Amino acid sequence: MVAPTATPEVDEILEDTTRGGGPIPPFGGGGDDDSAGEDRRPGNPSPDRYSTGMAIGILSILMFFMALASAFIVLRRGSGVWVTVRLPRILWVNTVVLLASSFTLESARRRLAFANLAGFRRLWLATTCLGLLFVLGQVVAWRQLVLSGVYIASNQASSFFYIFTAAHAVHLLGGIGALLYVLIRNFEKSKLPRRTAAEVTSYYWHFMDALWVFLLALLVLGH
Amino acid sequence: MQMTTGFDNSANPAQPRKGFFSRHVFTANHRAIGLNYLWLGLFSVFLGMAMSLIMRIHLIWPGTNIPGLSSLASAAERYATLPLLHGSLMVFFVLTAVPQAGFGNYLLPLQIGAPDMAFPALNLVSFWATVASLLGFTTSFLIQPSSGITLWVLSVALFSASTLFNSLNFAVTTIDLRAEGMTLPRLPLTVWAWFINAILSLLIFSILLAACLCLLADRFWGSHFFHSAPFLASLPPNLQATTALALWQRLFWFFAQAEVYVAMLPCFGLVTHLLSTLSRRPVWGERFVVFAFCGVGLVGFFVWGQHMFSSALDPFSPLVFSVLASSLGIPAMFLILSWLATLWGARIQLSASMLFALGFVSLFLSGGISGIFLARQDLSAAAVSDEFITGHFHLVMGVAATFAILSALFFWFPKLFGRRLSEPLGKLHFWLTFAGVYCIFMPMHWLGLVEHSHSPSTRAVALANAGSSLRSSITVAMLLTVFAQGLFLFNFLWSLFRGEEILESNPWRATTLEWNQASPVAGTGLGTSDLVVYRGAYEFIDSGDSADFLPQHLPPAHGPKPGGELKMDSA
Repeated sequence: MVAPTATPEVDEILEDTTRGGGPIPPFGGGGDDDSAGEDRRPGNPSPDRYSTGMAIGILSILMFFMALASAFIVLRRGSGVWVTVRLPRILWVNTVVLLASSFTLESARRRLAFANLAGFRRLWLATTCLGLLFVLGQVVAWRQLVLSGVYIASNQASSFFYIFTAAHAVHLLGGIGALLYVLIRNFEKSKLPRRTAAEVTSYYWHFMDALWVFLLALLVLGH
Repeated sequence: MQMTTGFDNSANPAQPRKGFFSRHVFTANHRAIGLNYLWLGLFSVFLGMAMSLIMRIHLIWPGTNIPGLSSLASAAERYATLPLLHGSLMVFFVLTAVPQAGFGNYLLPLQIGAPDMAFPALNLVSFWATVASLLGFTTSFLIQPSSGITLWVLSVALFSASTLFNSLNFAVTTIDLRAEGMTLPRLPLTVWAWFINAILSLLIFSILLAACLCLLADRFWGSHFFHSAPFLASLPPNLQATTALALWQRLFWFFAQAEVYVAMLPCFGLVTHLLSTLSRRPVWGERFVVFAFCGVGLVGFFVWGQHMFSSALDPFSPLVFSVLASSLGIPAMFLILSWLATLWGARIQLSASMLFALGFVSLFLSGGISGIFLARQDLSAAAVSDEFITGHFHLVMGVAATFAILSALFFWFPKLFGRRLSEPLGKLHFWLTFAGVYCIFMPMHWLGLVEHSHSPSTRAVALANAGSSLRSSITVAMLLTVFAQGLFLFNFLWSLFRGEEILESNPWRATTLEWNQASPVAGTGLGTSDLVVYRGAYEFIDSGDSADFLPQHLPPAHGPKPGGELKMDSA
């Protein structure tokens, strides 16, 4: 038997987990973000939290890769025994594939904005397939390297190559998971509007894109 | 257990009451999760203390045989795991988790007027990842060292991931879930500290995660991020020194030095808040205190090299790092100034909570002063041994932070459990611990300085004897202090069930929302709340009576009449 608190109203507030977030506070003198206002449904959490969460998550992932990149730069510059890895040419094909997927992603979102759900689904599926194609291409690149005798344990340069590409691929698979979620989820029953989910996923996907270009540039410049 | 948090659906009697596990263990409710982190911290702090006891006993009386425990320190490898585990438990599960994930999870949503954290499910996942990581740490201690180290690194990586999720939650909650009227300047300083800590933790734990990944890749897949000894031996001598451990040192210390400053931030926030509330004075220089919090956190990012003064890097880099490390003194001094100025002229009542908060200021100041010495690149490496550093960081990080946690616990115990901790026992515990920690850690500074001093042989013998008897007395002081913590444990457990029940919702007459949330949720379609914030968190009036404060949520129309009683329609 749990004793009541001195302020039972406090428990009512705290127990009411079904209610959504409060009104957007007067932050920085501004009012509501218009798109967020439209998307907010009665009793649903404010969609701002998802974009903020994604932005912050991206910052964190960026720091993770910056740690690896700075390690790469420090070792590359300080080492007299660096053996460069010959980059498989399929990496350039993969890059084009990934950039194309960002393009289809944006086209899909534009279709969604004009309420063309079928068009949105088609292009979104295309994005997902291109993403998978990229990952497959990365696997092919690894196989090519292994066949030519370059393993993660061969030398420092190859260690970095594998860790960069593997870490990026793992994060990209997470992105593919998000793409599939947006594709499959029944948004009629969800607290999260489809438009917000698509928007937030797009931030992540474009970030993965830019990150890959950055990593590739780093590997190329490391020669 | 008297939990006044009312998890049962008293508002909806038709629903069957959920069991213990769904109410307290597997729930995503922020208060339950916050409490669970506190339990985790309580377990970890006593386990960590036990480790340090074993270490000290073996240091002074190497041949001692404690049944069951001595085998844990029987070989050199085994002994080496003791400081590692002691440090991991204390830094991660007590220092990092308790003030932030423990108190923060419980109080942050309440203090900003939010219903819960932004991502409650993620919160639950983070907690269980933390538990798994604790299991990993303790297991790594019990198995063979070679696989133990791998398990330790995995546990660190898991802890980093869970802290990253936690920090994400804190940051998004503070940015997006504030109640109406809760503008950034009106945030309590506890919330500011949690928020800044979250942002900085997001940056540094990512780096640790990357470093752990590289280390695990080396161990599992034979990669070459961190060179092995045979490889180093094969290098020409001029390359050996710079190549050696420099990468791991840089990565680790970039995380770790920032981490120790970042981990202090919630303690700063708690103490600033408590000193103000308990002394009934507004925080002196409130806005600049926030800048000082940021300053302390930021300095941590620029000083990793202060651990590498003797690593044979570029000759100018020690000077740069030394200057940057010393610059920590500026925000730190401002904070001390603010705390003292807040207290100046106040009618201070020495409750247990206030004693611990004052103790924090004392320990932070005295421990911090030795930091100024350590920042000098020419002094630290040549003149002091590890014992000096151990004394320094234990005072400033270990004990000061613990005092902040205890102060917060005495203050918020009524909120968490509806009862009070025993004040006499609390005060006794304070004085014994306060004296004890100074007896333990202050002499370490002297020992550290003496270790490297060049004395004629006659003096050297006398110094060695003095040193060894001092070490023994440190161990004795430690034994007594650890046993004094038993007082606290008794107080805590006894008060959970038999402590004096509080009858009012705001026994401390505090201004922040967690004490005065009395207006019920409207429950309209848009899910709006009636809770509106009208002022900052530290509006105290010098009226000398019980109406000397303005709660944050009180509308201005009910302001104090001149010379009259404060009318409050809530609480």
